[in-house]
Amino acid sequence: MPSFAYRKCTNLAEAFKLLKEDDRAVPLAGGTDLTVGIRGGKFRVGALIDIKDIPELNILLADRDGITIGAAVSLNRIISFGPIRENVPILAEACHCIGTYSVRNRATLSGNICNASPAADAAPPLYCLEARVNIAGPRKKRTVSIEAFFTGPGQTVLQQGELVTSVLIPRPYPAGKGVYLKGSRTGSVDLATVGVAVQRRGNEVRIALGAVAPTPVRAGSVENAVNKNGETDWAAAARLVRDDISPITDLRGSREYRYHLAEVLVRRGLEQVMEG
Amino acid sequence: MSKNVTINFSVNGERETRVVEADLSLLTFIREQLNLTGTKEGCAVGECGACIVLLDGNPANSCLVLAAELDGKELLTIEGLARNGELDRVQKAFIDHAAFQCGYCTPGMIMSARALLERNPSPTDADIDEALSGNLCRCGAYQEIREAVKSCSRHNGEGRIE
Repeated sequence: MPSFAYRKCTNLAEAFKLLKEDDRAVPLAGGTDLTVGIRGGKFRVGALIDIKDIPELNILLADRDGITIGAAVSLNRIISFGPIRENVPILAEACHCIGTYSVRNRATLSGNICNASPAADAAPPLYCLEARVNIAGPRKKRTVSIEAFFTGPGQTVLQQGELVTSVLIPRPYPAGKGVYLKGSRTGSVDLATVGVAVQRRGNEVRIALGAVAPTPVRAGSVENAVNKNGETDWAAAARLVRDDISPITDLRGSREYRYHLAEVLVRRGLEQVMEG
Repeated sequence: MSKNVTINFSVNGERETRVVEADLSLLTFIREQLNLTGTKEGCAVGECGACIVLLDGNPANSCLVLAAELDGKELLTIEGLARNGELDRVQKAFIDHAAFQCGYCTPGMIMSARALLERNPSPTDADIDEALSGNLCRCGAYQEIREAVKSCSRHNGEGRIE
């Protein structure tokens, strides 16, 4: 007996109806985290509602509001999308750190944030870009900031029956360089031990980190030192990141090592985006 | 909601209709119900690439896909490459360059390479490394694999991969 049911939807109304029918129904996009999680016993689902063929979730467009990335758009489409490469290359760089080419053919940005791993590679750049998450449910739509979206490891503000329809990278796009620096155990495919996004905006900087707290976090102390107090000793500024993070020890690194790596990567990021 | 799903698809050019259980992986479906055992199971969590097949021409880790998701798609497996008993160019190139030892990763490697050459007939080394980033070879035949794929580039001789 199959452990769950499956249904493909071609419009949102149908998806909301099916999600309501079974309180253990879950939307399925790329499935690269979900299928593994179900098989491994991490998730128990009653039904998978396949949303990949819903046209409005396949939108990838740049307009006067910014860049809208539909929930079913694959990471490979995002990485090769001209307006993203031109205006917010940090996002393409971070999406490219996720999985492998074949995984990125199916995996989605919305899936990466809905899985809500503290180590989600796409999250730190989205924090720096002040992305907005568009959510829809059977009765209403709402939009939350990316920072409000994550509430804990594997936890988001999504209610049962709701789904993310798209992520918006709002204008104005940052004038200045951005980098995503990923510390991991191998140079090839791995989850982040620490992930750091550093994005310059004119004379200011935005910094966010993954894998160092229950959710991705902004490095407010470092940002303050640079943006408000004019700190230009990048090593000194980077040391302040210790006040912004609360890493744990796990198989990818100890708490102490993560503190060290976070500081090093924040310093390198500041050097790379604030100089020259 | 149904736990059995009817799927219409094509496999290696042949149209098929099947009823599958909702939680069946595409990999298990290919191996145990279509009886196409060229596609291999390695890690079963999307890390090794031994199970890569082409869905509408795009590489997919079949262990991460549900058989139910095959509805409306074209599936190409390693068995679908040879024509009239003759191996295709990528398969021949792997033999010519001894691009394997145990051969377990080879079907996935060839499917990824095949998709790369379709979308980019003249790949650079970096393009090849990117396209094969999801294919692990425990024997370490990476150099030979890269050479085999490069030999199929349009810059090398006949070019076309059909």
